[in-house]
Amino acid sequence: MKQNIIKRLLQAVFVLLGVALLIFIMLRIVPGNPIATMMGEHADPATIERMTAEFGLDQPAIVQFARYLSGAVRGDFGTSYSLGRPVAALMRQAFGNTLKLAFLAALFAWILGITCGIIAAVKKNGLLDRLFMGLSLLGVSMPVFMVAMLLQYVFAFHLHWLPISGVDGLKSFILPAIALGWNSAGSVSRLVRSTLIEILQEDYIDTARAKGNRQMGVLLRHALRNAMLPVVTMMAIQISSLLSGAVITETIFSINGIGQLAVQAINGRDIPLLQGTALFSTAIVIIGNLLADCLYSVLDPRIRKEA
Amino acid sequence: MFGKKKKLMAAGEDVRLKSQIGEAETFWDLMRRLAKENKLAVFSAVVILLFILAAIFAPFLTPYSYKDMDLLNRLSPPSGAHLLGTDEGGRDILTRMLYGSRVSLMIGVLPTLLGMILGAALGIIAGVIGGKTDAIIMRIADITLGFPSMLLAMLIMYTLGGGLMNVVLTLSLVNWASVSRIVRSEAIRLKQNEYVEAARAIGVKKRVILWRHILPNCLPTLIVLFTLNVPSSILTESSLSFLGLGIQVPDASWGLMVNMGRQFLYIAPWLSLVPSAAIMLVVLAFNFLGDGLRDVLDPHQKNQ
Amino acid sequence: MEKNMLEIRHLSASFFTQKGEVKAVNDVCIEVPKGKIVGIVGESGCGKSMTVRACMGLLKYPGRVVGGEAWLDGKEILSLPEKEKCAIRGDEIAMVFQDPMTSLNPVVRVGKQVTEALRLHRNMPAAEARREAVAMFEAVGIPEAKKRLSSYPHQLSGGLRQRVMIAMAMICHPKVLIADEPTTALDVTVEAQILRLMKKLCSDGTSVLIISHNLGVIAQLCDYVYVMYAGRIVEQADTFTLFEEPLHPYTRGLLSSVSSLRRGGDKLDTIPGVVPNLLHLPAGCSFSLRCERCEEKCRECLPDLMDVGDGHKVRCHFAGRGEKA
Repeated sequence: MKQNIIKRLLQAVFVLLGVALLIFIMLRIVPGNPIATMMGEHADPATIERMTAEFGLDQPAIVQFARYLSGAVRGDFGTSYSLGRPVAALMRQAFGNTLKLAFLAALFAWILGITCGIIAAVKKNGLLDRLFMGLSLLGVSMPVFMVAMLLQYVFAFHLHWLPISGVDGLKSFILPAIALGWNSAGSVSRLVRSTLIEILQEDYIDTARAKGNRQMGVLLRHALRNAMLPVVTMMAIQISSLLSGAVITETIFSINGIGQLAVQAINGRDIPLLQGTALFSTAIVIIGNLLADCLYSVLDPRIRKEA
Repeated sequence: MFGKKKKLMAAGEDVRLKSQIGEAETFWDLMRRLAKENKLAVFSAVVILLFILAAIFAPFLTPYSYKDMDLLNRLSPPSGAHLLGTDEGGRDILTRMLYGSRVSLMIGVLPTLLGMILGAALGIIAGVIGGKTDAIIMRIADITLGFPSMLLAMLIMYTLGGGLMNVVLTLSLVNWASVSRIVRSEAIRLKQNEYVEAARAIGVKKRVILWRHILPNCLPTLIVLFTLNVPSSILTESSLSFLGLGIQVPDASWGLMVNMGRQFLYIAPWLSLVPSAAIMLVVLAFNFLGDGLRDVLDPHQKNQ
Repeated sequence: MEKNMLEIRHLSASFFTQKGEVKAVNDVCIEVPKGKIVGIVGESGCGKSMTVRACMGLLKYPGRVVGGEAWLDGKEILSLPEKEKCAIRGDEIAMVFQDPMTSLNPVVRVGKQVTEALRLHRNMPAAEARREAVAMFEAVGIPEAKKRLSSYPHQLSGGLRQRVMIAMAMICHPKVLIADEPTTALDVTVEAQILRLMKKLCSDGTSVLIISHNLGVIAQLCDYVYVMYAGRIVEQADTFTLFEEPLHPYTRGLLSSVSSLRRGGDKLDTIPGVVPNLLHLPAGCSFSLRCERCEEKCRECLPDLMDVGDGHKVRCHFAGRGEKA
């Protein structure tokens, strides 16, 4: 067990290194001096040269990478070209918002998805099943921006129930979180339903019923834990897609988060900022996967043994 | 698997089962069964067909141009002349939708196909050869999958710049990793099958085993994966274009149209809603078709 | 005669499929006297599993009991509301399933699975339930009983798992134990151990209803045997009589397909043909399609289950009249 975790940790560190390298290479193979590109055609050549030196861009690539890496380990991601502030400080501010948004979205998606999935599986082919599965189809097929704009249009613009955009207390996160979680809720509920229906056919469910368990007991003590195994895997994948979706949601609802920073960085051709945000989101995904792995091995004793 | 068969037997359907064991179903038998049992899949196939036809015949279906502006007719609501209204440049939305379907179709199919070929090739190689090759390929896949797909796409688009072909390339590079993982595990599963072992035992070369036994048996999985990956490519493209990083004006893409319309959300909501709904419909159709195909082609993959 | 602990009366159960009603169990009567082992034998799909599942109230959709009763120690249980059925299940009547590999919950420790019935029916505190479980594990011959309680199913061998299953079923000391092919999934040596165990349980006073398609198992274990074919009982007798003087052509066919092996003949005696489609049962005797001596009336009229003496009953027009085996 312990060995397994250490192995996974090392793997995660390796992946993170690979990611850092990949980001670095991708951002550097763009031809031309990024400072010059950013400052436009009419910039003073002397200023460009000064700034190039200032950001260390005149050094060989390997030195740049080493500096960047050692900085990142210490929490220093360099200075943003376009905003002139340390990337770490910019991200610290944005991270709280993204975390709040993603956390609320995950909470919404998973609680709603799992509940609806269970109800649909238990009442298979019933009215609620059809309703939930219809809704979940809308969930998996509606693009994030569509959900976001619809919610914004109906609940903020027309009904004035919630703020249209910006960050002003927790209530300004409600619509973005629903928009962001909508997709995930759909796929989780479909997965929970299909897994649970399959598991309710398993022999050990008969055993549980033969022991005198009522339906609730069968469900809670025997079916759910088994059904959660693939769901945990899916949740791990969804951390990644939630962060992807956060880019869109944050843009639509003008939330100052990591995603919006990334978009800003691209539009401003701001390499340190882009590097920082990409590395940071990837780190979250990798840590999330690590946690999901641990949770999985807690839930499934068969994995524990194989370690 | 055996448990299920036993249950069927107990259900008194053994007779029906026996009559089926006699002959293996061909691909077309399966499709016929799909058409018979899954009306939703048939409906989806029709929607997809219409979508393809619209893309092919776009210039013949509309009298307007998709990029010429008509500034006298800006933001006009749906009417007889402009069935879906016009946008901020006075361009007919229906026309742009039709031309946009070309982009969406291309974006849906091309990168999915490219990513799939790349992913399947690497996945099979990793699964069949194993060892160091496997480790290297899978670590690269790990790294690719470590990124939130949107951010990876954004990074690649940053490097390559906007435009249709770059979007295709980007999405292929985003797509391959998950395909390679699934195909690899499928290949490993097949490798352990008795008929492959038997082939190896009589001295058939690895390369031949790969082509004759592993690849054809991965095909059902690949077909299903393809159908299910098309909508995700379409969604990623629309998101990229929505952020202004994908297709560039004056080309028409549904995601781009949503983005352009967003500024007018409160005065002309149809600008964004129409392309959004179209994306949803096509994605839904591909999802239905994919689910249906998976049920008939690849029952053991249900939970992936 | 001892009183019957379990008495199934005219039980019928069907699957309601899109193609129509599949009559899987048809007017079946079975008696399990106190402290005896009763067997049901038949091919797969003949309705034996379904019969006992119906008694337990464990029929799966789209299966449903159509008619009949099941009396457990003087109480009719089929008509009970679900809540009361749950109270009886696992307490007064328990079941051991066919495949110990899939019948244990893979993610729950076996100790917890075994004690669950005690917690449900006796409301027993955990520590006490554990003690009971250890005792039961020892009784069914699981070595290192205490340690095994915290094992997961995948850590145990097939034989051990089936012992766990039996311990789980016996933990509340049920009046009736139903065993659905309890040894089919096991090795022959393990099978012998499990059969010995079941016999021991029975000598402790539990009545056992065992299902098997294996005549050897039935011969070793049972006091009384029912032969089922296409959803109906076709013959019933005490074990000795059934094996010595089988009257129904189907029973004879079953026996000769086994004994031809024992005789060492080079050709296996088989019963020609296949089990009829339960959707469209023949009007007459359901075995008529495969029977060598089938006549006009066999095809037209279903024979009754006739008593030919000493509780030996046969569902055949020629029983008692034709030559005996």
